[in-house]
Amino acid sequence: MNGVIPCLLFLFFVSFFQEDYKEKREGMVKLQIEKRGVKDAAVLNAMRQVKRHLFVPSSSIPDAYNDGPLPIGYGQTISQPYIVAYMTEAIKPKPEYKVLEIGTGSGYQAAVLSPIVKEVYTIEIVPQLGTAAANRLKKLGYKNVQAKIGDGYYGWKEHGPYDAIVVTAATEYVPPPLLEQLKDGGRMIIPIGSPFMTQTLMLVEKKGKKATTKSLLPVMFVPFTREKK
Amino acid sequence: MTSTIKYKLLLSIGLLSAAIIAFQLVLMQILSIVQWHHFAYMIISVAMLGFGAAGTVLSLSRTWLLKHSEIMVPVLMMVSGLSMSFVVGWSQSSFTRFDSYLVFADYRQAGKLLLTYLLFFTPFFFGALAIGILFVQYVASISKIYFADLFGSGMGGLFALVLTWIYLPQQLPAIISILPIIAGIIILPGRSKSRALIIILSFLVILWQLAHPPQLIPSQYKDISKTLLLPEAKVTIQKSSPYGFVQTVTSPVLRYAPGLSLTAQNTARVKAAAFVNGDWFGPITSWKKEDSSFILDYTTSALPYVMRKRNKVLVLRTSTGIDVAHAVSHDVESITTTEPNSVVLSLLKKELALASDSLLYQPKVMSQRMEPRTFLMMDTARYDLIVLPMTGTFGGSSGLYALQEQAIMTREAFQEMWLRLNENGVISITSWMDYPLRNPLKVLATMVEVLYNSGIKNPRAHLAAIRSWGTITFVLTKSPVTVTEVANIRKFCDDMMFDPAILPGLKAEERSSYNQLQDERFFRYIDQILSENRKAFYDEYDFNIKPATDNKPFFSQFLRWENLNRLSHFFGTRSIPFFEVGYFLVLVTLVQIAIVSFVLILLPLFKLGWSGKNKFSILLYFSGIGLGYMFVEIVLIQHFILYFGNPVYAASAVLTSLLIFSGLGSNVSARFIGSKKDSYLLFVLIALLLLIDAFVLMPLLQNTIHVSLPIKLVIVLLLMGPLAFLMGMPFPSGLSLVSKSNPEAIPWAWGVNGCISVISTALATILSIELGFNWVLFLAALAYCLPVIGLSWF
Repeated sequence: MNGVIPCLLFLFFVSFFQEDYKEKREGMVKLQIEKRGVKDAAVLNAMRQVKRHLFVPSSSIPDAYNDGPLPIGYGQTISQPYIVAYMTEAIKPKPEYKVLEIGTGSGYQAAVLSPIVKEVYTIEIVPQLGTAAANRLKKLGYKNVQAKIGDGYYGWKEHGPYDAIVVTAATEYVPPPLLEQLKDGGRMIIPIGSPFMTQTLMLVEKKGKKATTKSLLPVMFVPFTREKK
Repeated sequence: MTSTIKYKLLLSIGLLSAAIIAFQLVLMQILSIVQWHHFAYMIISVAMLGFGAAGTVLSLSRTWLLKHSEIMVPVLMMVSGLSMSFVVGWSQSSFTRFDSYLVFADYRQAGKLLLTYLLFFTPFFFGALAIGILFVQYVASISKIYFADLFGSGMGGLFALVLTWIYLPQQLPAIISILPIIAGIIILPGRSKSRALIIILSFLVILWQLAHPPQLIPSQYKDISKTLLLPEAKVTIQKSSPYGFVQTVTSPVLRYAPGLSLTAQNTARVKAAAFVNGDWFGPITSWKKEDSSFILDYTTSALPYVMRKRNKVLVLRTSTGIDVAHAVSHDVESITTTEPNSVVLSLLKKELALASDSLLYQPKVMSQRMEPRTFLMMDTARYDLIVLPMTGTFGGSSGLYALQEQAIMTREAFQEMWLRLNENGVISITSWMDYPLRNPLKVLATMVEVLYNSGIKNPRAHLAAIRSWGTITFVLTKSPVTVTEVANIRKFCDDMMFDPAILPGLKAEERSSYNQLQDERFFRYIDQILSENRKAFYDEYDFNIKPATDNKPFFSQFLRWENLNRLSHFFGTRSIPFFEVGYFLVLVTLVQIAIVSFVLILLPLFKLGWSGKNKFSILLYFSGIGLGYMFVEIVLIQHFILYFGNPVYAASAVLTSLLIFSGLGSNVSARFIGSKKDSYLLFVLIALLLLIDAFVLMPLLQNTIHVSLPIKLVIVLLLMGPLAFLMGMPFPSGLSLVSKSNPEAIPWAWGVNGCISVISTALATILSIELGFNWVLFLAALAYCLPVIGLSWF
């Protein structure tokens, strides 16, 4: 009998906090993502499902659903929820897709892709981050995600070609091997911008031996010139 | 006070003052290594308020401190020294260490920042309190004591300069801390066993600190921290110098290819990467044709070489040699290059000679050790191509460089480059495409202004620009772009999947064949800058894209305060600090020190009384000389860096000679300033000299930049010596006046001067950006009028 009350209290608090985060996730999707124009139902569902607070350091859990990036150590960040959703929507994901992610980080982007596409392959160059993310993804049951530690420059040729490639770490150049491993008509999305700043994104579309890029501004703003009086 | 004691005392003050300045300079470098330059400045400004706080404490506990001064002064000096040796280590402990990059993203860092402030405040406070007690106690000999203080400070700057060549940054605090300890020992009273014990214990502590220097842990967001996370990454070379702490890192996965073409197949490997104070400085690459095609040929930076063959090239800023290597790979006839960082140049010639394929030993490469702008002003040769360093940083710099003076990015500098071009010559500069658009627009605006200024009616005919997915390269041509050049550029763009942005005969649809922009207003902005209505566009644009000038050489300062609300609305309040974090931090610094100073200045008035006894005149007098002195110091350092072409030695020479000349002025002040009338005359003379300087300094320096170093030194001494000499007099003569009318207020007057001096460094920076250097000199002259008003009420 002595142990029942603490157990009930424990269950109450666990369920209370789970509920709280579910509400926060719902709020995040509604206010930060849908309101800004992300419409893909599969992406919105994934953002509702994936428990972002499990992908951030324990000290940042209260801020996990805030409208901003968070530090995850080793000079890396987990992107703002809206950017994750926007990047996922930008590759136009389909259930049969095979997607390569460069820069696993905490594993959040891979987890968001997991329920939307068939297979996700993810590579992280920082061993400490890569190992932690791989364990986390495994523990949380993301079975269609395969993670490895390595140099993302060369992609993951054995599983290619890919329908889409998501590069989550900003890079000064597009590695040629990644373009090679992209299917004809495939899309690659790359963020540009330093951590904690409003980021722009670059979408690369492969068309035969050629490719075009499009710079995307997730947060569209009114012109930078003041209206003449 | 016997003459022996007096001598010892002066020596002791000199040593302590030398240590305080040396420690301040070393701390600046250490904090720049673990954090960033502007955060270092923010922390040290608060620490320097130790002087103001010491004035407050001295005002409140004057009687007790003076009564126990014989023991308190040496003990305070020794505590200051001991704390110098400890605080850096403590600041690096996991409990205290904060990350400045997270300050705006994680407010929990604020507590750690506060602890850091307190730690670094300690040595300055104790040292200043010792000096303050002596100022009050020996006010009759203030001119001598102030001379020792200034002379010691001047020598401290030189001491730090020499030490940074010899020791690693983390070893320096313990070495410097020996000076205040010796200063304390010299005047420690008695010959008891306890005295010997204190001496032995102090030195044992310092020896232990020397043997166990603290480990400096750079922020995880610094370039070097991220690079060291790469597989097999290791630091191969590290060199301490006043130019910064230079490190090179190797890793098999290090690559460099800014805005690489999507058609490129190269691996873009680099042999090493160089960092200065943990910030990216440049890659060290192989350039030999047999290794591979040069990587920059697959970027927009190849534009000037695509247009036509170049023979005579000037690379303004060697950095690690990437643009020099690019020119060598194009088989040009001669390359002149200039770089002020002698450590990096030495590395390229020695330790990194093999990795850089002996780049600087190539017979066609002539390397100069000088500020690029100084070289440009002195040089008379003409070139086919002048290459400027890449501007902006990938993804935006977060505004870290907003306060950096970039003398080669001003309108006047571009005008000088234009004059150095031969008939088919071009100026080439590559910029990252940033968001919101700032760098490319300002580069173009600068080029267009030069063209109009040179009488070119159709600037479009003299400009070409091509754009990749991430970079844009502009060339400014002396003669109109030819049909063949246009054809070459078009073919190159097709081969590389780049798009022309400015080209004679360009159609609108050609501008984004390969690389589309969601916001195509960029092209409209380009056209507006190229039009005659460009000035209206500069005024309308939300960021400052007017060309920088020599008077306001802050190319990377883009923020317009009147638009802050709009930017905050579009990007969110949390993004705002990252638009111009450098400028933002100086503002934060100013607000912080203004609040603390306000408290420190007002607090003693509760004891001294608020009214009567010349409080307001003391405030005006000591604020005025504090403001004026620091304004002059900052402007002179900036001007002389350009004049001598070497930032480190020019800054040290200015600081040291300014302080020593002021010290000499102080030393004779009692002889010359005997009455209020003398003081009035003194301030009129100072203000007059400053007004003359505001008009003649810059033109005089520009017109004599070609003369030999000894003549330059004579010119500088003639310009600065009399001014500094006079500027050293008001402080001791003011304290003498206060001692006659209200001796209890001496510590308060000294504290006011300390607080305002710290405020004025931050204020001078903001005023330089907003109004320009000439105005800062005018304001310095005005500041020296405040004491005149104060004097009339003494």
